[in-house]
Amino acid sequence: MKIAATALSHVDYLVAVALFLTGAWILLTSGNLVKKVIGLNIMETSVFAFIVTTGMIDGGAPPLVAPGDPGPFASPLPHALVLTGIVVAVSVTSLALVLILRVRAEFGSVELDEIALSLAAGDTAEQSERHGSADD
Amino acid sequence: MNRRRAGRILTAVLIAALAVPLMYGMVQLPAPGHADAPAHTNVSAGYIERGAELGGSENLVTGVLLNFRALDTFGEVLVIFTAWLAVAAVAGTASNAERDPVPPSPVVDYVIRLLGPFIAIFALFVIVNGHVLPGGGFQGGVLLGAMLILLSLVMDAETVARAVSARSWIWLRATGVLVFAMVAVMGLPLAGYLFGLPDEPGLRQVLTVALELGIGIGGGAVLAGLFFAIAGADRS
Repeated sequence: MKIAATALSHVDYLVAVALFLTGAWILLTSGNLVKKVIGLNIMETSVFAFIVTTGMIDGGAPPLVAPGDPGPFASPLPHALVLTGIVVAVSVTSLALVLILRVRAEFGSVELDEIALSLAAGDTAEQSERHGSADD
Repeated sequence: MNRRRAGRILTAVLIAALAVPLMYGMVQLPAPGHADAPAHTNVSAGYIERGAELGGSENLVTGVLLNFRALDTFGEVLVIFTAWLAVAAVAGTASNAERDPVPPSPVVDYVIRLLGPFIAIFALFVIVNGHVLPGGGFQGGVLLGAMLILLSLVMDAETVARAVSARSWIWLRATGVLVFAMVAVMGLPLAGYLFGLPDEPGLRQVLTVALELGIGIGGGAVLAGLFFAIAGADRS
């Protein structure tokens, strides 16, 4: 009974953990590079959700402190932290996506097992053809 | 096939092994939303009590970002600008102009063109009021970037990317970094230290809005630039 009550009061945190694990599962098991990036994004989002949740107060206002407003206010610090995190996440995602484009231009695939196959076969014919047709 | 299956089972075990300490740790924390949790009684209580007065903006998040932790935010602006540089460098060597543009339906086209100016005005409003209302430079910048991306979906990325010359795009993307660096150096004579904002309220307000505008315009241009680079429209 006590466990259920604790789980219920911490349900926001537990959902963040579940999201984190879901992202980790996708990141580790998917052979598709784009899906790996999506998994990484889900993990990042779960961390942001967790940090923002720690700053929340029941019935609290956003931290816009006008003179004479008694509050309670949500903590501004987690929000500022998460804003930084989101910017970094966007940077990482875009860099990963453009590197995946580069991989696709080189191997014609974003599936890890297909890339491994063409690496093992030393197949460069397709690559040179792609390079030739793509330069305009 | 068999190896893949073994890998999945191993991953499931790993995830389960990760889940137990994470869940256990989480339920030890004070429940979210309680005003007497340590997260609310220590540092952040001080910020809420005196942050608006000391930081110069009623929106404490903006105060923290642009004043108390300005060095961090400068790093953040640098990170996203550097990300664009890296993406543009990689995209320049990967060409993917093989996809055919799909013409959108006239309704979608018309609605997005109609919405464009309104989104731009809203973005400006969010940026300029970032110190008193929810919002700020990054949020407004994301709106600007989203507007450019939306437009390039209906008009084709090449056209939108060429609306501004390649040289001007670079300066626009560097706006955030340049404005922030300028305001940081101005802190030396005005406040006595780098990244300081002056105590005089009017001047401080002007500098805060200038910072927000720089971050907003730079952020929007960088976001659009990331999209153009990935869409293969901007080779500059």
